[in-house]
Amino acid sequence: MKILVPVKRVIDYNVKVRVKTDETGVDLANVKMSMNPFCEIAVEEAVRLKEKGIATEVVAVSIGVTPAQETLRTALAMGADRAILLTTDVDPEPLAVAKLLKAVFEEEKPDAVIMGKQAIDGDNNATGQMLAALLDLPQATFASEVVVEGGKAKVTREVDGGLQTLEVALPAIITVDLRLNEPRFASLPNIMKAKKKPIDIKEASAYGVDLAPHLKVTKVTEPPKRSAGIKVESVGELVAKLKDAGVI
Amino acid sequence: MEIGLLQHFRNFLGDEGIITDVDLIAPHLKEWRDRYFGNTPFMLAPNSTEQVQKIVKFCAQNHLKLVSQGGNTGLVGGQIPMGEILLSLHRLNKIREINPLDDCIIAEAGVILENLQNAAAQNNRRFPLMLASQGSATIGGLISTNAGGVHVRKFGMMRQLVLGLEVVLPNGEIYSELSALRKDNTGYDLKQLFIGAEGTLGVITAASLKISARPKYSVNAMLGLENAQMAVECLHALEEQTAAITAFEIMNKQALQFGIKNLGARNPLTELHNFTALVEFEGAFPDLPEHIEDALSTLIEAGKINDATIAQNEAQANSFWHLREGMSAAQKPEGRAAKHDVSVPISKIPSFLDQAEAAAKNIVNGARIVAFGHISDGNIHYDVARPENMPDDEFQNFIKDINHAVNDVVVSLGGSISAEHGIGIARKDEFCAREPKAHLELMKALKAVIDPQNILNSRNLFS
Ligand SMILES: Cc1cc2nc3c(=O)[nH]c(=O)nc-3n(C[C@H](O)[C@H](O)[C@H](O)COP(=O)(O)OP(=O)(O)OC[C@H]3O[C@@H](n4cnc5c(N)ncnc54)[C@H](O)[C@@H]3O)c2cc1C
Ligand SMILES: Cc1cc2nc3c(=O)[nH]c(=O)nc-3n(C[C@H](O)[C@H](O)[C@H](O)COP(=O)(O)OP(=O)(O)OC[C@H]3O[C@@H](n4cnc5c(N)ncnc54)[C@H](O)[C@@H]3O)c2cc1C
Repeated sequence: MKILVPVKRVIDYNVKVRVKTDETGVDLANVKMSMNPFCEIAVEEAVRLKEKGIATEVVAVSIGVTPAQETLRTALAMGADRAILLTTDVDPEPLAVAKLLKAVFEEEKPDAVIMGKQAIDGDNNATGQMLAALLDLPQATFASEVVVEGGKAKVTREVDGGLQTLEVALPAIITVDLRLNEPRFASLPNIMKAKKKPIDIKEASAYGVDLAPHLKVTKVTEPPKRSAGIKVESVGELVAKLKDAGVI
Repeated sequence: MEIGLLQHFRNFLGDEGIITDVDLIAPHLKEWRDRYFGNTPFMLAPNSTEQVQKIVKFCAQNHLKLVSQGGNTGLVGGQIPMGEILLSLHRLNKIREINPLDDCIIAEAGVILENLQNAAAQNNRRFPLMLASQGSATIGGLISTNAGGVHVRKFGMMRQLVLGLEVVLPNGEIYSELSALRKDNTGYDLKQLFIGAEGTLGVITAASLKISARPKYSVNAMLGLENAQMAVECLHALEEQTAAITAFEIMNKQALQFGIKNLGARNPLTELHNFTALVEFEGAFPDLPEHIEDALSTLIEAGKINDATIAQNEAQANSFWHLREGMSAAQKPEGRAAKHDVSVPISKIPSFLDQAEAAAKNIVNGARIVAFGHISDGNIHYDVARPENMPDDEFQNFIKDINHAVNDVVVSLGGSISAEHGIGIARKDEFCAREPKAHLELMKALKAVIDPQNILNSRNLFS
């Protein structure tokens, strides 16, 4: 069984995001970039399936700027076997990404695509669903558990009000949620091995997909500043402060 | 007298500047590790240097004793009053000036370290002092204890980061030299007296501090090491090969086990090693990770490191640091411990660990040794936790003997019995017994000249 795992290079989740002074976007100069946390969970799940002997090959694919190679190296260090990078300098929208992934899917013919439910930069939560629609394949989104058996995947989903379990025939698109697993740390020996694994770099434009954005961002601003809170150390102090504030 | 006294302070401090509500004072009387519980008639919270001057002048005239307090994170009990008036500096919390071109920031004593770091970062500079208490510890407290932390090898202790001070002297006069100068050889360097003086020679109200360039790239790695000798050799090998080490922290196996168990943390390495090191590298060029990876794999191939992992994102780096910085918290559920904050020459760390363990276990068989800390500057936090099945009360009886035995080892290796936390109340006996007489007399003479009435932090350092 072959698994395709799309991964995206995004601003590191723990970095304090700063808006550009001209309000055209987020300042990315000298900012730490990392793999989207949901993609990391997808890689982990695919690698675990391989370690269980269920998957035979894990292929990571990224669409983005040349430094996205670093993100792919992380996927390789976690245990992916090889990687594909479709380079482009535009920041493609979910539909363009889904179309490119469709093309890669058709080349690679994997048995499953395991991917993050969303990327933390755009928060679109759309690519996986679009890919499933374009390929006309079953989809199981927001997975918190994945069991693969006999050409099928049993996927537990986190839905409003509880858990839902779906069974999908493979090949299928599975998008993962936070609680699916806790991604591993990359060991140094595996980081070194990853340097020798192949990354196939191609121009995204070669796929004939329209990459031009259809949305125009008019303005990005910071959320309004919250006034500083205080910490109280005891119930007594809390009561006194609430009295001061005239709340009680 | 009491009412008149309160009214006197209220007159110039206002209602916010004098606190009598016991519930509001309570958190200021309890030390972080629950080892000291103090008492005070009331707490003063001035919000300007002038108010501090008025307080101190009045106390000097009326023979009233004061204990200064910043963030109350000190670990040797020095900030806890025992009947003295508590002088809290937390309202002196303004950053007065940032001059990126001078590499200088001027902050008041009550500014919390983390806020100072953030203010520097907003100006694309950094204040390099970093320690686990940075969310509470204040500039005044950090200077008074000459705090260290994890960046000392590269950036020095607080003393090396102070350019100038503003201090209210015990007679209410002011020493003020909030200089931005790196070079100033005019007479005695008086500010040095107040740094690490644990509040005994004056009340610090503001400081000018060194800031420097912000690192562009950083790499955090966890290393699995066979023994302490390997850790020391690895430190030097990595420094030689990368010239980029900014922190090199170790935890012994027991320390890591407590961390995993009591902090709910994951071991970043697949196995438990005798020692785990957390190493931080910084550099200005994007190929830093590659250099570090090459250096580490060379050491693995040479058998100098058992295993290693490199954080792939900030979340992983934070989880490494969470483990290291949680070392004190991780010990709390394990019961009483004899704690030591010692330093020895780096080459002596392996001998120290061997000898101290033998000495401690000779006193309490089955004691659990938790050793962690900043080995890149020779500083080990060496905690001897009670055996699992020994009641706290019983273990308590052995603590003094363990302290003494461990300190004997430290001194025999040319070390210090207090590397970064200071003497305070906790280490007074050991300090006074071991410090050469001539040194002690000189210190006492200085104290007598500067604070003849002994009104400031009078129980700290010596009785
Ligand atoms: C979890 C934890 C981790 C720590 N890690 C480290 C570490 O890595 N390295 C290290 O060096 N220390 C460490 N410490 C202890 C360290 O000494 C304190 O964090 C800090 O230096 C004290 O600052 P503070 O504002 O809390 O001072 P306080 O605790 O309030 O006071 C400390 C001493 O300074 C005096 N003082 C305070 N403010 C003034 C002032 N304005 N003028 C005159 N005297 C004053 C007090 O009287 C007292 O003697 C740690 C503490 C904790 C709780
Ligand atoms: C060409 C030249 C270039 C210089 N460049 C610099 C420079 O770049 N930076 C800089 O800082 N200085 C510079 N200096 C001056 C500098 O002060 C001296 O070079 C040096 O620091 C003094 O050392 P010395 O042994 O010659 O002391 P001396 O000249 O013998 O004495 C200097 C002072 O120290 C006292 N002293 C000497 N030895 C002791 C001791 N053992 N115990 C107590 N007190 C003692 C003396 O009483 C005197 O007050 C320069 C001088 C020259 C001639």
